[in-house]
Amino acid sequence: MGEEKKYFTRMGDGSIVHMTEQEIRQDIEEGIQDAAKRGKIDPLTDDEKEKLYQIITMPGSIVGVEHGMQIVTSNDSGSDKINTKCGIPTSRDVNAMIHERLLGCDSVDIGYSDYNYKTVKGVAKREATVLKQALNYCTMPLFYGAMPNLGFYTKPDGPVDNWAVLLPEGKIEEALAAQEEAVDHAVRDIVYVAEQMNDVGADGFMLDTSGAAGDADFLVALKATEIIRDRFPDMPVEIGMAGEFVLGMHGKIKYNDVRLAGLYPHKQVKLVEQAGASIFGAVVNTNSNRSFPWNIGRVCTFVKACTDVAEIPVHANVGMGVCGIPMCENLPSDIVSRADKALIEICKIDGL
Amino acid sequence: MSRESILETAKQSIVEADEDMALEALKQAEESGIDLIDLLSNGYSAGMKELGDLFGSGEIFLPELMFATQVMKVATAEIESRMEPGDIKPKGVMVIGTVEGDVHDIGKGIVASLIKTNGVMVHDLGREVPAQVFIDKAKELNADFIGSSALLTTTMTQQKKIEELLETEGLKGKIRTMVGGAPVTQRWADRIGADAYCEDASEAVKKIMEWINQI
Amino acid sequence: MGGVRTAGDLVMRLQLAKKMKINEAKAYVAEKLGVNLEELCDVVTMSEKREEMGLGLAHVEPCAEANAGMAAKFQIAKALDIKINSVERFKERAGL
Repeated sequence: MGEEKKYFTRMGDGSIVHMTEQEIRQDIEEGIQDAAKRGKIDPLTDDEKEKLYQIITMPGSIVGVEHGMQIVTSNDSGSDKINTKCGIPTSRDVNAMIHERLLGCDSVDIGYSDYNYKTVKGVAKREATVLKQALNYCTMPLFYGAMPNLGFYTKPDGPVDNWAVLLPEGKIEEALAAQEEAVDHAVRDIVYVAEQMNDVGADGFMLDTSGAAGDADFLVALKATEIIRDRFPDMPVEIGMAGEFVLGMHGKIKYNDVRLAGLYPHKQVKLVEQAGASIFGAVVNTNSNRSFPWNIGRVCTFVKACTDVAEIPVHANVGMGVCGIPMCENLPSDIVSRADKALIEICKIDGL
Repeated sequence: MSRESILETAKQSIVEADEDMALEALKQAEESGIDLIDLLSNGYSAGMKELGDLFGSGEIFLPELMFATQVMKVATAEIESRMEPGDIKPKGVMVIGTVEGDVHDIGKGIVASLIKTNGVMVHDLGREVPAQVFIDKAKELNADFIGSSALLTTTMTQQKKIEELLETEGLKGKIRTMVGGAPVTQRWADRIGADAYCEDASEAVKKIMEWINQI
Repeated sequence: MGGVRTAGDLVMRLQLAKKMKINEAKAYVAEKLGVNLEELCDVVTMSEKREEMGLGLAHVEPCAEANAGMAAKFQIAKALDIKINSVERFKERAGL
């Protein structure tokens, strides 16, 4: 009897594996059920599961979307990566032009190498100069982007006590107060940077990895967006998340009477809409111990539940360690193209 | 009262972070002649385990976990005060920290807290900890385990340095290492020779308890 | 979608300016440019259309004549009937 056919795929850390049809289908199902249970959302339909299986097992190292289903892209710190990641010494305005004219991007963001708003605040006008230069050269939309990264506001790097230290010490009220104080500092800094970027004509303003430090961090993004949209109505905002789940470091923080801790993408997007953002960057973290079929089943379940209810464009964050992509520096195109195809054709995302 | 119902009360006192209930369970255990180590391991600790699972699935959040941890501390201290010194030994000693050049410590803090509540003595070295300090502190404190966290691809190389230093100082195999953090994977752990990779806090606790049972 | 080689940047602008979902944004841009949806993603059709309307290109030969950057964005704002922040700020600074 011949050996059962196996298909090439990968684990969440990028390692190559070969799986049988049954193994793939089982992993897809388990990934879907994990998401459905956690998010209390509908699983994918049988047709969608079948389509997902077909995408995973398609021949060819790279797969593409059906003609006419192409979507647009935004980035995180895209313009700096040619420099910092590839070691090619180019200025960021030139990087932006490379993205536009050589790489076929639909937009890109100008970002500082120390990619957080607390640091950027100190050099905001210089950053705005770089952006202004790039805006003169480029045709496509250019964002300014960085991370709220609330943790940077804790001592010794920032002004408030470190709640990650206070909590295990049992100083819970102090820990909650520290987070609330940090929110005010972060919002102030972000709005200041936004003002500089709006002054030079940024096409968009990106708040990347919102929620990375928990529910207070997500609140920063929402509050800052509200203020930015009010004061600078010509500059749209994109809020990109850090994970599928908002970690409850505070637990009681609310926005518009909705508790932020524990929210999944289908609920996150509604608050992002209320804050006034134009684009929502949904994120689902890759489990590096599980297979791509498991991960993409889980991702599609979360993201589809999000796009089903979203009234603004949803750009799934598809990069290292997120939305099914393995946690490795050099991304394998076989997995990236399959994740893209699944998200576009099954989840009907509006962008990547 | 039966042993089962007292253990259940102890467990619930942690799940509900109710200090009065915890002390009531202790009183009932003493009156019923129940072994206090049994009460700690199968009562209160069972509550911490349930909370750890609830935290992992996002049904409770960090402050609630920390409230319960405080109750656990009170219960543990009460039991220890009734025992002879040395009756309750820590199950193991761990040093944990975020590696040099990295200031991200939220995940590491959660891991440290959860492992502590499972009877392991945990020394949290903080953040931006040089590799040599991990080794020096592990030697000073007679640690069984070293846990290191890195959130950046640029700082995770420090975890490799820790393994190299353990080798140089003849401690490889004597102190077990676990690595974690967003860019860290099993593949990375295998490459650098770490003893374990843990995806999240629950896995870290599971792995530590597995190692403890082997000691 | 291919950015300035096709109409990706234009569709992106509608997502930003009017919060349009992908199909709505594509339909809007196609209508404004007088192309169908298939042509919108076609590099051959769109290169000609963009050159004709001065909407900016990926390769900008003949360099002296083709629009790129700020000049292209002025035309894009007009063609799509949207406000582009960098155009508005440029006008303010240039006293236009």
